[in-house]
Amino acid sequence: MPGKGKVQSMKIVPPGKKKCVWMEAGVVSYKLCDNNYDCPTCVYDHAMQTKVARQKESMVAKPAEAQPDKFTATWVEKMMMLPASSRKCRYMITGEIGRKLCPNAYECGTCSFDRMMQQRLQSEPMAVSASVQVAGFEVADGFYYHEGHTWARPEYGGRVRVGLDDFARRLIGKLSGIEMPGIGHELKQGEAGFGVRRNGKSAGILSPVDGVVTRINDRLLDHPELVNASPYEEGWFAIVEPTRLRKNLKDLYYGEEAHTFTSEEKERLFSMANDDLNIAADGGISVEDISEELEETQWLRLVKAFLRSK
Amino acid sequence: MESQRGRPALFRSLAVCGLGAMDSTVIRHVAEHISTRSCMPYTIIPEMDIPAYAFDEKRGQYNSKVILKRLMQFPHDCIRLLAVTQVDLFVPILKYVFGLAQVGGPCALISTYRLRPEFYGHDPDRDLFMARIGKTAMHELGHSLGLTHCRNRRCVMYSSTRINDTDLKRSDFCPTCFELFRWHLEKCRVEPNLYVPQN
Ligand SMILES: [Zn+2]
Ligand SMILES: [Zn+2]
Repeated sequence: MPGKGKVQSMKIVPPGKKKCVWMEAGVVSYKLCDNNYDCPTCVYDHAMQTKVARQKESMVAKPAEAQPDKFTATWVEKMMMLPASSRKCRYMITGEIGRKLCPNAYECGTCSFDRMMQQRLQSEPMAVSASVQVAGFEVADGFYYHEGHTWARPEYGGRVRVGLDDFARRLIGKLSGIEMPGIGHELKQGEAGFGVRRNGKSAGILSPVDGVVTRINDRLLDHPELVNASPYEEGWFAIVEPTRLRKNLKDLYYGEEAHTFTSEEKERLFSMANDDLNIAADGGISVEDISEELEETQWLRLVKAFLRSK
Repeated sequence: MESQRGRPALFRSLAVCGLGAMDSTVIRHVAEHISTRSCMPYTIIPEMDIPAYAFDEKRGQYNSKVILKRLMQFPHDCIRLLAVTQVDLFVPILKYVFGLAQVGGPCALISTYRLRPEFYGHDPDRDLFMARIGKTAMHELGHSLGLTHCRNRRCVMYSSTRINDTDLKRSDFCPTCFELFRWHLEKCRVEPNLYVPQN
């Protein structure tokens, strides 16, 4: 076993990535989670479960031929072989909480701690771990951005939180109201799913992903200004159960691409707002409320051009 | 029709002027800097006043777009006019600007207000101040000749959002922008676009 441990420790999990539960349990030596810990919809998890089941069947038939490197146990079984004091709760594995041992033999579906965590994680937005200023706009790390200036952030369990980006909230300005879809409403990527109002005018907001709304941020109904104050945290719009997440994410901007997109949008905004002179200006973080500096007629034109809604 | 010969020297030069009270060594630095880099003669023209109506009470800054429009109303017998001021400038949407130009237009404007190290609480540094002025002037001249922003952080046509961006970029064009700059300049030499002032 020491040899095996060495191999594992040489593989470093890159920052921002998380170990697959099969790696955490020591069944496989290296595998990162690529499905946001939504094991029920994970292709890898299905394949591994099948492999283990097949291996077990063959061991029953011809026990002598079982080889040590074959997968003979699922990650839950491996974890259950550990002493109780080493059985990490899955929220500890994913880093959502500090130290917590599994109280329920990894039967998360019937675990009350799991239920509490799910509710807590849904109502409290995850903190932005880091963000960069791009052309004077805040771009939060780990978020996926839609060209209509909405964001999607996959969270634990496969759900996706969505909201409006910093560029949009400055462009739209101080909101007077938000229109939300009902729970159970089906959103389509690139189609209007939300609405914002300001000074009697309204504009649609495109959904960044396909999916079903499972929760809305109802604080925004009475306090739309939360979007202006905190677009990536307190001002989130909704939580969605995605239906085509992997495909959707490919159509969104992430990391360096999101930075390029934002700086191009700033140039486009500036030239559209000053199209009377074709000006290029240097300097300048954008003002907090861009709409205050636009003429009334410009607001709707620019908001629609950048939110890309009709 | 006036003959090429009869035209004054100013006609084929880059004009620089102070807008409001300006340190004459700054004006000469700007003129020499852009003249050397573009191999064009320069002319320093008499100082102009800053139009009072360009001042925005709410912001406590001057609206650079209003000033630029004003500059465009004067006929200039030069290839381009670069005005230099020491008041703080803004443009709608942005909190402040280091400079402004009409892309492919006759006039450009820069402010030294946010180029002084003292503005950021640092000790005075004449060389740094002058280097920043040179980069900003070259950048706006580039715009007024028709160049747009460059993605290369080291190129003088990289858009400066903050002063760090200005300090990070070099005072020269990247090879692509240099080609463009020369091409635009050449067009001006052949057919100087003596522009008709707007009313
Ligand atoms: Zn520029
Ligand atoms: Zn360049």
